Amino acid sequence: MTSKMKITIHGKEEGTRISSRLLEAKIQKAVTTGYRHIDVVALGQHGIAGRLHEAGDDPVYVKITGSCGQRTGSMGFPNTTIEIMGPASDDIGWLNAGAEIIVHGNASNGAANAMAQGRISVAGNLGARGMTMTKENPRFEPPELWVLGSTGDYFGEFMAGGTAVVCGWQPQNEENVLGYRPLVGMVGGRVFFRGPIKGYSQGDAIMVSISDDEWSWLSENLKAFLKRVGKDEAYTKLVRRDDWQMIVARTPQEKMRVSSRSMASFHREVWDAELGKGGLIGDLSDLDMSHIPVITTGNMRRFVPVWENQKYLPPCQGACPSGIPVQDRWALVRNGLVDEAVELALNYTPFPATVCGYLCPNPCMAACTKQSAFMPSIDIKQLGKASIAATAPAVPEVSGKKVAVIGGGPAGISVAWQLRMAGHDPIVYDTAPTLGGKIAAVIPESRIPKEVLDAELSRIGEVLPHIHLQQPLTAMEMERMKGDHDFIVVAAGAQRPRMLNIPGKERLLTGNAFLADAKANMAKPGKKVVIIGAGNSACDAATEAMRCGADEVTLIDIQAPAAFGEEREAAEKAGATFKWPCFTREITEKGVLLEDGELLAADTVILSIGDVADADFLPRSVTIAQNGYVSVDENGQTTDPSIFAIGDITGLGLITAAIGAGRRASETIDAISKGKRPAGRDSRDVIDKERMTLAYFDPRLTVFEDLEKCGSECSSCGSCRDCGLCATLCPKEAIERSETGQPASPFEYVVRADRCIGCGFCADACPCGVWTLITNTPIG
Amino acid sequence: MSADGKITPSSLSIKDLHWQIDWNKDTCTLCGQCTAVCPVKAIELGVFRKRHVETPMGLSGKVTNRFSIFYGIRQKSEPKHACIGCAMCSQVCPNDAIIPRRSDEADKQRYHMDQGGQPMKRGGRRKAEGPGILDRIKFTRISMLTDPALDAGRHEFEIKTLLGRVLPPKEQIQRHLKGEWAPPVREIYPLVIGGMSFGALSPTMWEGLQMGVTYLNEEMGMPVRICTGEGGCPPRLLRSEFLKYTILQVASGYFGWDEIIHAIPEMKVDPCAIEIKYGQGAKPGDGGLLMWHKVNKLIAAIRGVPTGVSLPSPPTHQTQYSIEESVAKMIQSMSMAWGFRVPVYPKISASSTSLAVLNNLTRNPYAACLAIDGEDGGTGAAYNVSMNHMGHPIASSLRDCYKTLVEIGMENELPLAAGGGIGKNGNLAANAASLIMLGASMVQTGKYVMQAAAGCVGSESDRCNVCNLGICPKGITSQDPRLYRRLDPEHVAQRVVDMYVSFDTELKKIIAPLGRSTSLPIGMSDALGIDDRDAAERLDIKYMV
Repeated sequence: MTSKMKITIHGKEEGTRISSRLLEAKIQKAVTTGYRHIDVVALGQHGIAGRLHEAGDDPVYVKITGSCGQRTGSMGFPNTTIEIMGPASDDIGWLNAGAEIIVHGNASNGAANAMAQGRISVAGNLGARGMTMTKENPRFEPPELWVLGSTGDYFGEFMAGGTAVVCGWQPQNEENVLGYRPLVGMVGGRVFFRGPIKGYSQGDAIMVSISDDEWSWLSENLKAFLKRVGKDEAYTKLVRRDDWQMIVARTPQEKMRVSSRSMASFHREVWDAELGKGGLIGDLSDLDMSHIPVITTGNMRRFVPVWENQKYLPPCQGACPSGIPVQDRWALVRNGLVDEAVELALNYTPFPATVCGYLCPNPCMAACTKQSAFMPSIDIKQLGKASIAATAPAVPEVSGKKVAVIGGGPAGISVAWQLRMAGHDPIVYDTAPTLGGKIAAVIPESRIPKEVLDAELSRIGEVLPHIHLQQPLTAMEMERMKGDHDFIVVAAGAQRPRMLNIPGKERLLTGNAFLADAKANMAKPGKKVVIIGAGNSACDAATEAMRCGADEVTLIDIQAPAAFGEEREAAEKAGATFKWPCFTREITEKGVLLEDGELLAADTVILSIGDVADADFLPRSVTIAQNGYVSVDENGQTTDPSIFAIGDITGLGLITAAIGAGRRASETIDAISKGKRPAGRDSRDVIDKERMTLAYFDPRLTVFEDLEKCGSECSSCGSCRDCGLCATLCPKEAIERSETGQPASPFEYVVRADRCIGCGFCADACPCGVWTLITNTPIG
Repeated sequence: MSADGKITPSSLSIKDLHWQIDWNKDTCTLCGQCTAVCPVKAIELGVFRKRHVETPMGLSGKVTNRFSIFYGIRQKSEPKHACIGCAMCSQVCPNDAIIPRRSDEADKQRYHMDQGGQPMKRGGRRKAEGPGILDRIKFTRISMLTDPALDAGRHEFEIKTLLGRVLPPKEQIQRHLKGEWAPPVREIYPLVIGGMSFGALSPTMWEGLQMGVTYLNEEMGMPVRICTGEGGCPPRLLRSEFLKYTILQVASGYFGWDEIIHAIPEMKVDPCAIEIKYGQGAKPGDGGLLMWHKVNKLIAAIRGVPTGVSLPSPPTHQTQYSIEESVAKMIQSMSMAWGFRVPVYPKISASSTSLAVLNNLTRNPYAACLAIDGEDGGTGAAYNVSMNHMGHPIASSLRDCYKTLVEIGMENELPLAAGGGIGKNGNLAANAASLIMLGASMVQTGKYVMQAAAGCVGSESDRCNVCNLGICPKGITSQDPRLYRRLDPEHVAQRVVDMYVSFDTELKKIIAPLGRSTSLPIGMSDALGIDDRDAAERLDIKYMV
């Protein structure tokens, strides 16, 4: 047999159509047998002329007449040429793997579907979904589909390779040679076409110009195509380059690109064009609406730090009845200015050593912020004791008002001291030969060393004139005094001991009398002493009684002892005992007889249940309250505008409170005399302790070895200690220290709004609680 | 707390909070960005003192103490500064050194949110984690060969629905021939952006949503509509061509309505529709209150009120006393305002009384739709109790209404709109398709839009949800320019477009196998199944396991 052996196979035998399976078997057998030219007279059989691989590389020619069925030439091999002499049914060349297929008529739906190699030439038009799902395998030449006319709808869906050429020759639709919605999902290959189209999937494909190489390929192969389908005469009409266009698949990268109008362009050219500049609300608001970062600076910060230096009172100063700026003193110490720290106190108290260093229970220390972290309060006693070194300030010339100060105790000395400093002319009247009041007269030396008190009194004496009255003032003398002075300040204290109205009361020795005797070393209390009352004065009496020879001292009270602090500790240390509740019935020769019949044996019975004011000598213009004390306002002014009252005569209190009252009375008198409104107390709020950061301090520290240690351990509540931590910690380098040129506050920390992001680190880290973070001023 | 600190019943530790800040000392660079961005000041710089006890080996010398200081980020434990889990700190952290983590047990903070006797209020959504009924519904009818199966990616679809009273064909034709009035009907996209007011939303958010919707219409040919919510409508929008994409809402506060009325003579186009809000699914029976501090110049101008006053939207309309009255009066008034050219419909909270409203609407020839809002919707502000415990799931409420319409033969005449938690777990298209197949002609969504288009981080597990406080970290619900300028309207608009285009594809993926391309499968419940027998029975859909 030769390779040119020819056979005709009929799709109909004995008047009956044979099945596709049988026809296939006949064709395959023919090829196996050696036939290389097969004429098939088809009758709608499926898949004719595909898979003719049995011939190996031998070319096989199959000519089909009659009506071929679906999928003619499917899975065709490169050795196969199929020529269909009429129209082709669906899926011509389906999964074509290399066959040359020529259709001398139209091809219906699905032509070249999934074709991977080979070539299909159609002399007419296509049905729907031609050239869909085609492939292009790098191992082989890409597939080709040539169409003389036009395509049906949905041409080239998911086309992934190969070349389609649509010549538009006598198309089925003159207005659209590629049909409806071509090239959806196209990912590869190219489509040459000639004639008008009505759109294609622009998201998948793109129209490009035909290059010279491509044109030379097209024009050359066009000629061959026309020859294959027997339409050579059309060539001259079809070969006009300008009539041809080409569509190729977009690359995946191109597909990802938004092909539609950008939102920015829409915003500008559609949105704002219709609504006006500024969009929806451009007419209602002139606020900037532009996009900002999440982390902002300047006016766009939600929070802004504020350096609130000395906006609040430190707790120590806030708690000091004398109003001494305790913390300022520690700041001076910290800066090595111990002398200045010591002398600063004299502006507030004439007794910085006696009171702050010895007698005061130190409310400043009780209020100290450091206690909230179980740390010891900064020890003001050390600074108080050091203040003995303070020298009397130079006093101004007397140029102000004449003021009579009745009483030379701490209150009277304080007001006179302050008045003199302010240039006024105070004169202190007292029935005692020396100034000092109870401090000098009755408080035991165990609590206030004589040399300390004497030194301070001597410093005071350098400044203040003192008139020693031989007897208490009378109301008439007061009236006269009022005429001779611009103001009178009554600081006569509470001198009259409160008495018990019980049998034998004449046997009682008052506490003050005993303490005065004791201080003069003239007391002889005997071995057994009972003290009625258990307050701090009673404790002083107990301690002194033991010192003066007693070996058994009992303090009795109707309730739990009120004594506290050093006085009580000293009494207990000396061996005094407390007993309560005890209700005294009578004082007998033997001692104190209680209501329950018990007798407390005593050589001396001391009554120490407090003192009351003696205000009988005051003119009627001064109102006395029902409790016997003089009524005053917060500045110490009585109901008589020219008379002030301070100290215990206005109600019992701490020495420091009397000193503070003296200073306020002085300030008030000074203000009135200058025609100003009295300033009143420092109205600043005490700082919230939460603001300070105590982590910086040593929690194991229990004692401060010296003043410097006190100063360095002070948290400087509310007052910048100029440590520079904030500036260093600021993540944006937004805090700068600057010199103000003002001596009172020589520096300040300033926030650079253009760098600050409002993180609040400065406020959170500041040891002094100076920084705070506030909500920025609302916009809009 | 300080060493001498005392506790009160409401003193909480960090452990008691819902969110705990996880901070990494090793990677933190102390840049301050986390504390600067935190909306509730939940974190601050901590100054930490570290003790080192130096013990020589063999005790060969003195044991000493040494202290050092380090800085870090410290979480506050007071309820008012409790971390809300928004994770903005993580977002701005350059070193990924900080992140909020949810407590591993029920928090204690919930018991202390009523200080001063004020029950907790918040924004967001109800606490309900995990999949809802809608998430569990599956589309079980997937046609491969039996029906004309469609390819979602290849076929052309016309995804549109009707908003308006649809007359029976015969009557429609008769009226047309006689030139008589017929109810207005709009052909719109079935996913509507539900009402979120100018005020509840920031200006940038509101503008972004409107811009995105307009883009979808003008550039993409998708007839998407957006409801204004009750807060008026900017005068420029009222007088623009874009008004046709907008559904104007009127509710019990009537805010901005005088401005709308003044704009009517100048309107170039009619609005899409008017929605009368009677209830909100997220907080049925609870009203709204825009706090005075949010009522700035801009809000005041749009709402037609003075600045700095609180604006209550009461739970009820004052002049309406019965269903008949409410529906008839309001629908008439609103229809009349635009010459009966604009569809008007009520929106109610899903409730066991929904059917009563529906029955009434079927008898009202002007009623254009019934919008039902289910319990999983969102809100700008509500009492916690209203949000968590009031309301009705949308699925069964909608289903009841649809089946009633079927029973009386009006399922093609009165459309139902369903909302409330659509896409709350991210399944926007699936949830929407479920509701459509259960009988909704359209679905409304709000919360999903906030999340997808603006990056809202709120969640059903109690994250963020501070919409009511004006401190939205994304700038979505704040009137503070320092916050809302974080949001660029163009970006929001682009996300709206992305969201819709992808929704569109997903919806096609669901309906293509049903062989639907030009009409929505409204009420096509034979396509639905669920693995819960009771739910299947209640919704009258297939039970499948």
